[in-house]
Amino acid sequence: MFPVFYVAGLVALVSTVMVVTRRNPIHALLYFILSLVAVAVIFLDAGAPFVAALEVIIYAGAIMVLFIFVVMLLNPGVALVIRAREWIGPAILSLLLTLGIVYSVVGSTIKTMGISATTPKDIAMALFGPYLLGVELASLLLLAGLVAAYHLGRRIEREAPARGASLQPGAPVGSGAPSSRKEGA
Amino acid sequence: MERVTAYLVPVWAIGIFFVFILIVVAIFLVVPPLLGERHRERATDLAYESGIVSTGTARLRVDVQFYLVGVIFLIFDIETAFVLAWAVAFKRLGWAGFIEIFIFIGMLALVLVYLSRSGALDWRRKSPAGRRAP
Amino acid sequence: MSPALSVVLCIVLLVILMIVGGLLTWVERRLLGLWQDRYGPNRAGPFGVFQIFADILKLLTKEDWIPEFADKPVFVLAPAIMLVAVVAPFAVIVFAPGILITDLNIGLLFFLAMSSMTVYGVALAGWASNNKYALIGGIRAVAQMISYEVFMGLSLMGVVIIAGTFSLGEIVERQQSVWYFAYQPVGLIIFLIAGLAETRRLPFDLPEADSEIVAGFHTEYSGMKFAVFFLSEYVGMTLISALIVVLFFGGWMGPFLPPILWFVVKTAVLIAFFILVRAALPRYRYDQLMELGWKGLLPLTLLNLLATGAVVLAIGK
Repeated sequence: MFPVFYVAGLVALVSTVMVVTRRNPIHALLYFILSLVAVAVIFLDAGAPFVAALEVIIYAGAIMVLFIFVVMLLNPGVALVIRAREWIGPAILSLLLTLGIVYSVVGSTIKTMGISATTPKDIAMALFGPYLLGVELASLLLLAGLVAAYHLGRRIEREAPARGASLQPGAPVGSGAPSSRKEGA
Repeated sequence: MERVTAYLVPVWAIGIFFVFILIVVAIFLVVPPLLGERHRERATDLAYESGIVSTGTARLRVDVQFYLVGVIFLIFDIETAFVLAWAVAFKRLGWAGFIEIFIFIGMLALVLVYLSRSGALDWRRKSPAGRRAP
Repeated sequence: MSPALSVVLCIVLLVILMIVGGLLTWVERRLLGLWQDRYGPNRAGPFGVFQIFADILKLLTKEDWIPEFADKPVFVLAPAIMLVAVVAPFAVIVFAPGILITDLNIGLLFFLAMSSMTVYGVALAGWASNNKYALIGGIRAVAQMISYEVFMGLSLMGVVIIAGTFSLGEIVERQQSVWYFAYQPVGLIIFLIAGLAETRRLPFDLPEADSEIVAGFHTEYSGMKFAVFFLSEYVGMTLISALIVVLFFGGWMGPFLPPILWFVVKTAVLIAFFILVRAALPRYRYDQLMELGWKGLLPLTLLNLLATGAVVLAIGK
C-alpha cells in the first residue's frame, strides 16, 4: 500500500516550517494552505472523509481565504523582521511543549493509529444527538462573532467631508459604486 | 474491514487523477514559454494601465467593506458545515433534528436580518450632498 | 475496477475535457453570433471550426511574458491552481454506469472543497500581478466568489435531504422515477445563479469587466497562462452543467439512447443555456451583485432548505 500517511505527514511538516520562515506574508499563507490540505489527506487516509472535506472547505477554503484577502486589502508588503528578543520567549515555550509531545508519544502504549471508517451520517447522528447542546452553543458563538466582527470592521461614518474626497490618494477603491465619503480611521 | 477498503480505493483513484492533472498543467506552463517569441523594448516592463504611465504603487488599500464580507462569509461557511451534517442524516434525525437545525438556522437568520438592517451588507453609500451614488 | 482501466479513464477524461474546453471557445462565439444576429468566426474551415487551431497556434507562439514587477512564483502558480481546482471535481462525477473515476461517499463535498480552492486562483493572480487593475479585479472576484459560495453549498442540501447521501452515483440512482428538478426548482435556480457567479460568467463577470478594469485579475497575463485562465472558465462551465445534470436532471437516465449519450446531450443543452444567458443579459453592477447574494439569495436558500425539510418530514416516512 502506498504510504499516504507518511508522504502527507512529511508535506505537512515541511510546509509548516516554511510558514514560519517565509518573510512574504502571501508565500507563508500559501504554505499554510498546503499544510492544511496535507492534513486533510491524512484524515481521508485515516477513514474520516467528512472531516477531511470540512478541513478543506472551512480551514483551507474559508479561513485561509480570509487571511489572504486581508493581506490583499491591506498590502503590508514584506513583513518586518522580528527581532530575536521577540521570538525567543515563545520559542522556549514551544520547545517545552514539543518535548512534552515527544515524551508522551515515546512513552505511550498505543502503537498504531486506529483506522476505523466514520461516515458523515455517524458524525451527524453524534452531533445532533448527544452533542446537541454544543451545536446550539456554536450557533450562539457564531452569532456573537458576527455581531462583533461587524462592529469592529464597519465603516465609521464621519461628518460629511468636502466633495470629491474620494479622488484623493488613499481613498477606498474598487467598491464599484463611487463614493464621496472618506473611510473612517 | 470491508468498509475501510471502500474508502481506500477512492483515495488511490483520485490520486492518479491528480497526478495526471498536474502533468497537464505542468505541460501548459512549462512548454509554451519555450516556443513563444521574446522581445525587450522600452515599455516592455511597465504595468499596463491603458497606455498611461503608471504612478505610485499598485499595493492599494481597499474599502473595509470587503473585509466585512470576508468575515461574514467565514461565519456562514461554518454554519454550512453543520447544515451539511444535518442534511445527510436527515431521515434518521427526523423531526427532532429538524427542530434543532431550525433553531440553529433561525439564530443565524436573525443575525442576517440584523446585519442587513444595520447596513453591513449595503454597498451603496449615500453621498453627503444627498445625491445617491448611481 | 481494474487499475489499468482506471488509468485509461483518467487520461481519456482529461483529453476530452481539454478538447471540450477548446471546442467551447468556438461554439460560444458561433452561438453568440447566432443569438445576437451576427456572424462569429466563419472564415477558417467549414463554419469557422478551424478557428480553434488558429487560436491555439497563436497562443503557443505568443510571448509568455512574466512581468518584472510581479511576484514570479505566485504569478505562475495562480493559473495552475485555477485549472487543477476546476478539473479535479470531475473525478467524482458519475458519467454513466461504469464510466467514472471514483464514486466517493463525500462526492458532493469534494466538489464544494475544490470549488472553494478556485478562489485562490483569482486572488493570487490579482495580487501577484502587482497591477492596479489586477488587484481590483482580484479583490472583486474574491468578494463575489465567497459571497456566492455560501449558498452554493446550501442550495444543494435540498437534494441531499431527499437523496440522503453525498455520493453523486447514488443521487442519480435515486432519480429513477422523478428527476429532482421537480422537487427542488428553487434549489436548481439558486445553484444556477451561484454557478454563474462562481465561474465569473456574464452577467456576473465583474472581476474581469473589460469596460471598467481592462481584464481584471488576468490583465498582465499573456500567452498560454492567459489561455489556462480561459480554459478553466470553460471547463468550469462544463463542470457546473455536468453537476446540474447529475443532481437535478437524472444524470445518465433516459429512454432509448445509451446512458453516456444522454449525459452528454443534457450537459450540452445546459452549456448552451449558459451561453444564451451570456448573449441575453447585460452585466450587473457590483453593489447589485453583492446585495442580490446576501439579501436575496441567501435568505431564500435557507427558507428553501427548511421548507424542503418540513415537507419531506410531513409527507415522507
